[in-house]
Amino acid sequence: MKPLLAEGSKSVNKKRMSPKEKSEERWAWLFVAPTMIGLIVLNFYPIFQTIYQSFCKTGDFGKGNIFIGLANYQSVAVAAETWQSFWNTIKYALIEVPFGIIIALILAVLLNKKCVGRSVYRTIFFLPMVCAPAAVAMVWKWMYNTQFGLLNNIFGSKIAWISDPKIAWISVGVIGVWSIIGYNMVLFIGGLQDIPGDFYEAARIDGASEFRQFLSITVPLLSPTTFFIVQTRIIGALTVFDLMFMVMDKTNVALKNVQSVVYLFYQYAFTNGNKGYGATLVVFLLIFIMILTVILQQAEKKLVYHN
Amino acid sequence: MRRGTAMIAAASMVMSLTAGMSFSAAAYEVDELKVAIWDNNQLAGIQEIADEWTAESGVKVQIDVVDWDNYWTLLEAGASDQSGMPDVFWMHSNVAQMYMENDILLNLDDYIAADDKIDLANYYEGVTDLYTRDDNGSVYALPKDHDTIALLYNKAIFDEYGVEYPTDDWTWEDVRDAAKAITEASEGAVYGYAVNTSNNQDGWYNLIYDYGGNVVGEDHKSTAIGSDEAKAGMEMMRQILEYAAPQATVAETGTDSLFQSGMVGMITQGSWMINSFYTAENHEDYYWAMLPYADVNGNGSCDEGERWSCYNGLGWAAKSEVKDPQAAYDLISWFCQEPQQKKQAELGVTMAGMKGISEEFANAFEGMDVSAFTKIEEEGSLYFRPYTRNTTVWEDALQQQGGMLDAWLDPTNPDTMATACDNCQTIIENAIAAE
Repeated sequence: MKPLLAEGSKSVNKKRMSPKEKSEERWAWLFVAPTMIGLIVLNFYPIFQTIYQSFCKTGDFGKGNIFIGLANYQSVAVAAETWQSFWNTIKYALIEVPFGIIIALILAVLLNKKCVGRSVYRTIFFLPMVCAPAAVAMVWKWMYNTQFGLLNNIFGSKIAWISDPKIAWISVGVIGVWSIIGYNMVLFIGGLQDIPGDFYEAARIDGASEFRQFLSITVPLLSPTTFFIVQTRIIGALTVFDLMFMVMDKTNVALKNVQSVVYLFYQYAFTNGNKGYGATLVVFLLIFIMILTVILQQAEKKLVYHN
Repeated sequence: MRRGTAMIAAASMVMSLTAGMSFSAAAYEVDELKVAIWDNNQLAGIQEIADEWTAESGVKVQIDVVDWDNYWTLLEAGASDQSGMPDVFWMHSNVAQMYMENDILLNLDDYIAADDKIDLANYYEGVTDLYTRDDNGSVYALPKDHDTIALLYNKAIFDEYGVEYPTDDWTWEDVRDAAKAITEASEGAVYGYAVNTSNNQDGWYNLIYDYGGNVVGEDHKSTAIGSDEAKAGMEMMRQILEYAAPQATVAETGTDSLFQSGMVGMITQGSWMINSFYTAENHEDYYWAMLPYADVNGNGSCDEGERWSCYNGLGWAAKSEVKDPQAAYDLISWFCQEPQQKKQAELGVTMAGMKGISEEFANAFEGMDVSAFTKIEEEGSLYFRPYTRNTTVWEDALQQQGGMLDAWLDPTNPDTMATACDNCQTIIENAIAAE
């Protein structure tokens, strides 16, 4: 894909454009304009505003910002809760990303085979994606409830699923996995259907077992899809907010061990009205995600199989 | 059936059209005002009062209920250009100062001066002070209501464990003893008491004042939460906590839900919450008693300054760039005039912001005696809900780890409570310094 595009753009530059090409170019701009405008207004402008605010002691209601250089960065960097929330976010990602992917992959492989009620199962697994995250979190919150919760009722236990600092982060992670499986699964099914059937046929003739076929054909040929999911899910997991916000009360003992960076950002920027400090927190997160993305892009060259 | 509804809809449309033509064209520039509030319990009553104004003015009043957290996000996000803000809305002590200083709210001075139905002297001072700007003395909101706190108990639980019902003469020691009796007799199946760190105004703040401390001083720039008096109050709270529902339980389920599911014998609650208990399943078991007092001088009776209830008052405010300020003000004035204030109390929406007209509130809930809320105004003292310029910063911190939560988690240890009070002192001082 990449070399083709590069050559194409070179050739356009070399010779002058014909009227037809010019008209095509105009149409092209017209078609990308809605996306471009949306990105600029809703993404780029806020990004630069946020970076600017992170250098300011922000006034009330976005008025009267005073430039204070790196003072916010200094206070964010020395605050223990910053690093605790980073660690919390990473812990959440360590649950959501691998489990969300492995379970989704297994389901996708199973549901890619012809079986009775296949589309029913696909729909069931995709349903969590259709539900509003806030509603999902509310239902889980009550399932986890120590006194009246469904889980403790079934197991006859008295476990404080979301109030025990030792396990609350796992409980929240489980909700994340449950919510994302369907989405990952649909992407995997798409990837699986791109793998030509001849490979499996040839492998069967050679006498390879189902498991061997999975390891030697499915996994490598699915790796571009897998990589895409890994990368987008890592970013998604690192920006998690609604789960913690909905499931945990402000006075929950375990909150400090579970609250994510974005949760902390929300607390500072919107509850306490300290936009500058909040902005600095997300700039830290932005840098962290950028570094991770660069590393992942390097890894892609080694790990992803391109045929 | 469907035709009937359609006819009514058509008829009401015609009516509102004619109403719109005959009145609003003449008097007001707008034919609708958007109003935002955060309490769904009050919607029906407020809408009823607003509809009467619509009948007179021809201006429709569209009331939206937005939950507390999103309400403030909505107001703050809309504040910069005001286009997304409602025209008329509630103000609260937590942020009023900030909204006033930044000219987000409409200055009501001229309108009040021209309005012979409003005299600010008739309202609770704490509420009018709150909505008056310190530097220029202008008023930015009219007092909508005020609220007080009372003790709520479940008679069925007291009967089951043979404990005497709370009375208006109870001290906090009596509360502790009753909580102990219930918790021990039920072997922990039922808790005598429940209070979370977030039950400040309706909970532990009151003990601090009963014992002579304060959370924020009169100047709104100091605190005595770490004083010996405040510590004595919180030590009393700690002794109750020993027999109360564990903090993890109240944080997960909420004190109100625990009470309504019959797992808790007593809680303290504010008058704004009556309706949710009045309409609850087992409401015939629920009774209110006056908020207990602290017998600081030990003479066995409640003296001046030994029984304190926090009170707070919302204000009706308009945004400064409202399209038709006169219409917005007239609606605000309508809500705050004596007949409507009385009606608000009669309907049981809330007690009035105007002084001395809330007796009707005590009779608003047929079959439930809520006189404890009005009685404390005569037999006790009221202090205004502690606030500074940016209250939320320290108020949230007090409820969490590093604040009072530490003491709630370790209720058997008096030292933890004393340390928590000291930490809270630092939290509030630092927050005020940063304002």
